Amino acid sequence: MTTFIIRRLITMVLLLIVVSMVTFGIFFLIPRLAGQNSYELAAQYVGRNPTKAAIMQMEAKLGLNQPLIVQYGHFLKGIVAGQYYNSGTARTWCGPPCFGYSFRTQQPVWPQMMNALPVTASLAIGASVLWLVGGVAVGVLSALKRGTVFDRLSMGTALAGVSLPIFFTGQVALLLFSYKWQIFPNVQYVPITESVQYWFSNMVLPWVTLAFLYAALYARLTRAGMLETMGEDFIRTARAKGLPERIVVTRHGLRAAVTPILTIFGMDLGLLLGGAVLTETTFSFPGLGQFTIQAINNQDLPEIMGVVMLASFFIVLANTVVDILYAVVDPRVRTA
Amino acid sequence: MRRLRSVSVAASALAIGLVLAACGNIGSGGSSGSGGSNETYNAGATSVVNPSSHKGGTLTFALKNTPDSLDPGNMYYAWEIDFVRLYGTTLTTYKSCPGACSNKLVPGIATGLGTSSDNGLTWTYHIKKGLKFSDGEPITAADVKYAVERTYDRSVLPTGPTYFQSLLQDSSYPGPYKDPHGNLSSVTTPNPYEIQFHLAKPFPDFNYVVALPQTVPVPPDKDKGSTGGANYQKDPVSSGPYEFQSYQVNSKLTLVPNPHWTPNEDPQAKQLASKIELTMNVNANDIDNRLMAGDLDIDAYGAGVQAAARAKILSSPSLKNNADDGFANRLWYIYLNTKVSPMNNVHCRQAVEYAANKKDLQTAQGGPVAGGPIASTVLLPNEAGYDKNLDLYQAKSDPGGNITKAKQELAACGQSSGFHVGAAYRTDNPEEVSAATALKASLARVGITLDLHGYPTGSYYTNFAGVPNYVHQHDLGIDFGGWVPDWPDGYGMLDDILNGNAIASAGNTNVSEVNNPEINNLLQDSTSQTSTPAQRASDYAKVDQITMQQAYILPEVYSHELDYRNPDVTNVYSDQAYGMYNYAVMGVSNSSSSSSGS
Repeated sequence: MTTFIIRRLITMVLLLIVVSMVTFGIFFLIPRLAGQNSYELAAQYVGRNPTKAAIMQMEAKLGLNQPLIVQYGHFLKGIVAGQYYNSGTARTWCGPPCFGYSFRTQQPVWPQMMNALPVTASLAIGASVLWLVGGVAVGVLSALKRGTVFDRLSMGTALAGVSLPIFFTGQVALLLFSYKWQIFPNVQYVPITESVQYWFSNMVLPWVTLAFLYAALYARLTRAGMLETMGEDFIRTARAKGLPERIVVTRHGLRAAVTPILTIFGMDLGLLLGGAVLTETTFSFPGLGQFTIQAINNQDLPEIMGVVMLASFFIVLANTVVDILYAVVDPRVRTA
Repeated sequence: MRRLRSVSVAASALAIGLVLAACGNIGSGGSSGSGGSNETYNAGATSVVNPSSHKGGTLTFALKNTPDSLDPGNMYYAWEIDFVRLYGTTLTTYKSCPGACSNKLVPGIATGLGTSSDNGLTWTYHIKKGLKFSDGEPITAADVKYAVERTYDRSVLPTGPTYFQSLLQDSSYPGPYKDPHGNLSSVTTPNPYEIQFHLAKPFPDFNYVVALPQTVPVPPDKDKGSTGGANYQKDPVSSGPYEFQSYQVNSKLTLVPNPHWTPNEDPQAKQLASKIELTMNVNANDIDNRLMAGDLDIDAYGAGVQAAARAKILSSPSLKNNADDGFANRLWYIYLNTKVSPMNNVHCRQAVEYAANKKDLQTAQGGPVAGGPIASTVLLPNEAGYDKNLDLYQAKSDPGGNITKAKQELAACGQSSGFHVGAAYRTDNPEEVSAATALKASLARVGITLDLHGYPTGSYYTNFAGVPNYVHQHDLGIDFGGWVPDWPDGYGMLDDILNGNAIASAGNTNVSEVNNPEINNLLQDSTSQTSTPAQRASDYAKVDQITMQQAYILPEVYSHELDYRNPDVTNVYSDQAYGMYNYAVMGVSNSSSSSSGS
């Protein structure tokens, strides 16, 4: 088991290095292949009507005039060993993992991402609890009450939930509950450290909106899994033993049906922790998703690199955790 | 049963929690508005709406994107120049009053406007005595000099204007960070309350230059170590009515009153609200909805509401009473490039001028109310030299376009059956997208086929339309643009977009690549020491006329915007110098404010 975990962790690191190379290539190499030189690249960061000297100063400061392999080496070195940065008045140490400094704000990327992470984590974790509990519960009940009004109604709602994009449901939720009825007025992110009450009340609409989409998906998946499981021989055996239906459903049926759901749950959570772009944009939450959009709009290459790496880390981590859990459950996976 | 009961208890607790949380929010927000005086449609364009000296409350701003920087030495956007006055005072500033009156230059921390001597090569300012920074230290001429010096290091403070580098004598000074023992010799301080700027050539508009935020004083000893340079933006020492309480870069700023500020420091600003909050990166439509719901006070970007809110406001009398059709101090226009064939022929450019349907362009920009009046000149109506009768292509009298004249010009150009040419526009600007489509349709009427090329705003000038080589390679003979002058004067409007000296290999703002000796000379003459304001106005009028005769630019609209004011906000009016509401004088009448309780 230990060997398996070590092997998976090494794969994880290698995968992240590949991701970093691809991202670096997209944003640093491709513009050059398209004919843009480092001088033109630096001109993006020197404001309106820059002088030639100003562009050259910026080109040197950002290290854009160095060979690409050297720039990539500095990037990796910063993550592993940290690096110094010249703020003009001091040489500031940026400890590992140092993802460099923003080309726009000249602030270190890592602390900015760490400021955004609690927002995204609040959103993703809260919503995931809602959709997991709600989706699985509705899915189980639908399966058990197959063909009833409840089943048809819940599956119809689930279909709507899967079909409606977040920027629509989010806007409708804001329009009704925030702007019109003022039940949750002025929705904005408030850190939990500032006020638990305001953190919670401001999270309700984003949680529900995000959970609505996923819960719908999970309800349909759970229903399908439960319908399949409840027709299995071991369920018939359990019933034949005289076990109460509640035990048959929860201990035998649900346990078998929920395994693939948990796998998907791990992946979804990993993806969301890298930034819930649509939800954060709709509700103007300053999380990693919004940070990503801002980085792309500003052509802020270090920020883009940083956020892609962090999002990749969460996805790869979620994958690894799922793999390890699989190995715990099924020993055959360890030797695969 | 036990498990079921515990589930229902948990559900009840959650429901109660939701209700309590919701109630908590109601208490903290949802300001209803006190209903100030004279709250009618467009009242803010010419008068102060809801005038009040009420103190207290929280004034909330929201911004749809992020600032260049909050460091006064490193900013350029119009909203930043308006907003910075809350925590920084420049040598000169603009008079705080509604309408055209706000174009008037008045002293800031200086005792009066600057006086020029030495044949216009020296400008002298006297600093008011007794002024203090937010840390209680006195403000002196040395602090203003240092503020200018630090802007010379473009690797640390890259985004501000470059007027000092181009106008002062020692343009190669590297700045105090790279040369801590050096000195910008072209700025001298004969005594602690006097500062002199020594110019390489006369520049009569210099009083406007020192109204830019780069003259907000910076104490040298506070711009050091890990909190100086690029990090000074996090907590600049204030010389305005407010100071930083906290700032999370690109996320949220909180300002509180500066205890050492007095109205004497800047009579054009007020200290009314007990707290000011600026939240960044808020969805633009969300900003509009929050404004209309009373949850937010001001849209910091100041470019008017989005199309969805515009329709809602204009169709609702109660909402419309809280809206202003403000002059945006901006021209939307189209560069007609002089190097890309066949646009290098004046007749082909004139054919475009005639064929364009100006009414459609106006509609695309938002219509007469939110877009603005159809423009027929490059100069804005508030600028000296503007001639309302200059309308060479009948933009006002025949806004649908003159097809007959367009065809005649095409024939004179040798392109009787029309031609193909590329057109650049910004894909993330919905109005510009509509304008590009409208222009394509109207030019097609005379056989001119536009190949539309869309680019992102962030790199429009730095990588595409502002890179002449790229423009030539992609035949971008038509390029959409807009200009907000650095000051309400012909030079601020014309020099960057029409002077041959402004053509640059990247970040070029003279996208038409106009290098007309007559225009260059007129702009040069306007800066001579002997030129009077009347002569300068005449020079600018001539530049405007030549530009339109040569069809270097196709004007679209003198930009207006539909602004919405929360009824709770006091002292609201459109300021022409900034092209938006004046942020330095606002307060809130309802002390419960629209903050979310955080």
